[in-house]
Amino acid sequence: MARMKFLCDVERCIDCNGCVVACKEGNQVPVGVNRRRVITINEGRPGEKSVSVACMHCSDAPCIAVCPVDAIYQREDGIVLVNKKTCIGCGYCFMACPFGAPQFPSGKVFGARGAMDKCTFCAGGPEETFSKAEKRLYGQNRIAEGKVPLCAAMCATKALMAGDASVVADAFRDRVAARGSGANAWGWDKAYNK
Amino acid sequence: MYTLFSYLSSCVDDRNRRWLRLFAATILILSASLAVAGGSQVLLSSGPTSGTAWFSTLNQHLTGDWQQYGQLFTNLQKGLFPRLFLLVLTIIPAVFLLHYIVIGPKSFAHTGLVKFFGILTRILHWLAALSFTLLAVTGLMVIFGRFLAPGGGQFIMAGRTVHLVAAIVFACSAACLFLIWLKDMFPMPYDILWLLIMGGYLSKKKKPVPAGKFNLGQKMWFWLATVGGGVMAWSGYLLYSFAAPVDQLRQMVIIHNFLGAALVGFFLVHLYMSLFAIKGSLTSMITGYKPREEVEILHSRYTI
Repeated sequence: MARMKFLCDVERCIDCNGCVVACKEGNQVPVGVNRRRVITINEGRPGEKSVSVACMHCSDAPCIAVCPVDAIYQREDGIVLVNKKTCIGCGYCFMACPFGAPQFPSGKVFGARGAMDKCTFCAGGPEETFSKAEKRLYGQNRIAEGKVPLCAAMCATKALMAGDASVVADAFRDRVAARGSGANAWGWDKAYNK
Repeated sequence: MYTLFSYLSSCVDDRNRRWLRLFAATILILSASLAVAGGSQVLLSSGPTSGTAWFSTLNQHLTGDWQQYGQLFTNLQKGLFPRLFLLVLTIIPAVFLLHYIVIGPKSFAHTGLVKFFGILTRILHWLAALSFTLLAVTGLMVIFGRFLAPGGGQFIMAGRTVHLVAAIVFACSAACLFLIWLKDMFPMPYDILWLLIMGGYLSKKKKPVPAGKFNLGQKMWFWLATVGGGVMAWSGYLLYSFAAPVDQLRQMVIIHNFLGAALVGFFLVHLYMSLFAIKGSLTSMITGYKPREEVEILHSRYTI
């Protein structure tokens, strides 16, 4: 069975936030929730690096471990999803996640948190595939259409890759073999063959 | 501070004043020494001598504010908390059932009533009792949510709203009760004697028990419910509003759950003592009067 993974090539990420916009727009993500974010370190200084982060769909997901109502589950292909109808909005998953992936829309009764929302790997949710309810609650189901998630599809430089782990790993290995990595990956020498 | 101290001093009579001062001095010394110890830890730690080892000690100081509680919280929430609450909810009632069967309740003659609780105290107590019960029940609904949620999480989500409203009611009424009962709740030397005989509840005889208006068990419950309740309210506020960085939220959840378990446990003790172990004590919180014999036996150091 395929095991789905994200891989963000920090040598290629240019901090354009195209992945962020594609996800937010394509899935009609609720206000206040950012399923995908681009983190930049050493901004403006030598060694500036950016990486695009969303849910990592962990193998031993801490969010699944701490949920008191077992609202979060993991599919055969490794994708971690939440059942928004079961979720009680307690926030334990947010506290357990090292990446801050589970987020909560606000504005319910007494300003309480609504049900948790996070990156679904564009694989929808527990509702019936391609149903209106699934689209409204979870966003697009591109995996069921055989397409990669919106973020990876939109990536301008193909820094962000998503899909079957072995396919992604092969692509990345070929890329690194061809260009080198770290200090050898880019610069005037590499670009102009000098 | 001085007016607060003089108000407190005027509330206790001469006999108790010595011990009140001693208690206050002990608290002051303890907190001062804790502050000194915490402050000096950074400066005075001699540490290791090798270069690599020194760097790793330095690293701890540099990265000290990095997120540290994620793993602890995940492990506690996954394994410990549901089991802890299950233990509290089963062992404590079982122990009291055993006590009721083996030793049984204490009953006293109904004649000669002594005024014990004023009308304001009783109203506030029942407001606090109702809100506390709702807090405990809705809190347990979150802990054991997986048994209540198969049909959907809406019921438990509504429970969280009840938890919030009950918390506000409880905070107000508990604060008032704290001010009303504070002067009777300071620890006294005879409380140790009470502890040694476990309040006389381990025997069926009716010998006078050393206690003031409230015995040590009642005092422990008072301090846990008011100070503990305040900590629950503060941590609960941060958890509800997410108004703190995530690592602090993790600390708050750990505190909130452990303290919640202690409060639920002591609440069960309070329920047993006030509903079953002493016949007529529920009546005394409704009418405000206790039988004279009960006060003479169970609160022998209280001047009627």
